[in-house]
Amino acid sequence: MTRTRRTGMAALALGLAAAALLHGRLAAPPVYDGIVVPPEPYRWESPPPNLRAGNKPPLSGDTTLPVLNGQVAGGGVQTGDNQVVIYFGPGTFKAPAGSQTVSCTIAPDPSPPPPLPGVEIRGNVYRIGCVAQPGGAPVTLASSYHLTLRFPPGAFKEIQYNDGGGWRALTTLRAPGGDPYASVNAPGFGEYAATAPSGAAAPGESIFSVLGRYLAFWGILAFVILFGAIAVVQELRRRRRWAPPRRKKRS
Amino acid sequence: MIRVGLAAPRRALGLTGLVLGAALIRAALLPLGDLLSTLVFGGCLLVIGWSQRGLSSSEARWGRGHALVAGLLVGAVLLAPVTAGSLSARGLDGFWTWAALAALIATLEEIAIRGALYRRWSDEAGPVAAIVAGTVVFALIHLPRYGWAAMPLDAAVGLALGGLRAVTGRVLPCAVAHTVADWGAWFWA
Repeated sequence: MTRTRRTGMAALALGLAAAALLHGRLAAPPVYDGIVVPPEPYRWESPPPNLRAGNKPPLSGDTTLPVLNGQVAGGGVQTGDNQVVIYFGPGTFKAPAGSQTVSCTIAPDPSPPPPLPGVEIRGNVYRIGCVAQPGGAPVTLASSYHLTLRFPPGAFKEIQYNDGGGWRALTTLRAPGGDPYASVNAPGFGEYAATAPSGAAAPGESIFSVLGRYLAFWGILAFVILFGAIAVVQELRRRRRWAPPRRKKRS
Repeated sequence: MIRVGLAAPRRALGLTGLVLGAALIRAALLPLGDLLSTLVFGGCLLVIGWSQRGLSSSEARWGRGHALVAGLLVGAVLLAPVTAGSLSARGLDGFWTWAALAALIATLEEIAIRGALYRRWSDEAGPVAAIVAGTVVFALIHLPRYGWAAMPLDAAVGLALGGLRAVTGRVLPCAVAHTVADWGAWFWA
């Protein structure tokens, strides 16, 4: 075996072993060439009739956090399907005296309260809550926490919050680049939902933006294919030019 | 006796700069959309690979069949740790277009990094430098898209693919392994 191959074998073994160890720390397999994998289909609690066949039920999420001097450590919780994620800093939640831990859960609500007139709930309603342990006493909020919610394809205006006293709209920040996520500074525990005005259609695109997108895609793809074809032809010609001339058979 | 090579691998460094430059262009174009930035990146890699096509190599190469099997095996090993996870709900409807684009970009990356860049570094500084340079470039070009958290894993995969290139003497198995590992991201959430 040559030195190059020995080196290669060592690098291959080391790289594969390291990759196997590091893979375990990631929630999903990565793509090594920078292309974004489209998100999984939205998981509906109550899917529309046309999506019922392939629908997977939404997942919940929970975590347990330590309490020190009545203050809950900072951290985050997300549902197993990443449709809801919350983050909070240390001291955002306050637990009653004697609490050792705080248990936080995010769960889809199968029978949520009805929306306000003229508003349509888009996707699932999620119930977010934290209770102190032991005892299950309620946890209070010292400040708001960050909540990111995924919404299904279609119309979307804002996230609304219901603490038991009715739905109210929150100042909502939508993710850029057309990603189906929006976030708010969540003011409390209770129910959260993506909403849109009743009967609102998904935002349309102008003919120019659609045309521009297709031109960019097909234009560059054509460039890549054309360039590839030229490269192959040039390479074949180069090889033919450098090939030794055939000897004529002596008669 | 210890020999120290004083001649700087100028061409290899220049080529490294070109590949990193292509990744920078892609990062700059990211706000205009993932598809556009990825295709421009692919175009840049194609130009780099094409401009270096005349480089010859004296290293021994595996046959195409053996190289293909090696690529499939390494791809399967890269994918194995994630197959224990839950399957994603993505259907096959959108897979083929995505898979074709992923395979195209993966192949162009391998032609540029494990092809042109590897040969330059190998010629000017030896195979160890070629594998290390490919590993570093592979990790760096993915930085804008995935951030620092993914860098160790990208470096590990880059090292494995560099090793595969050195063992087989071919780019083909690296492209196959890279593509197989990428495609797994569709099926496992």
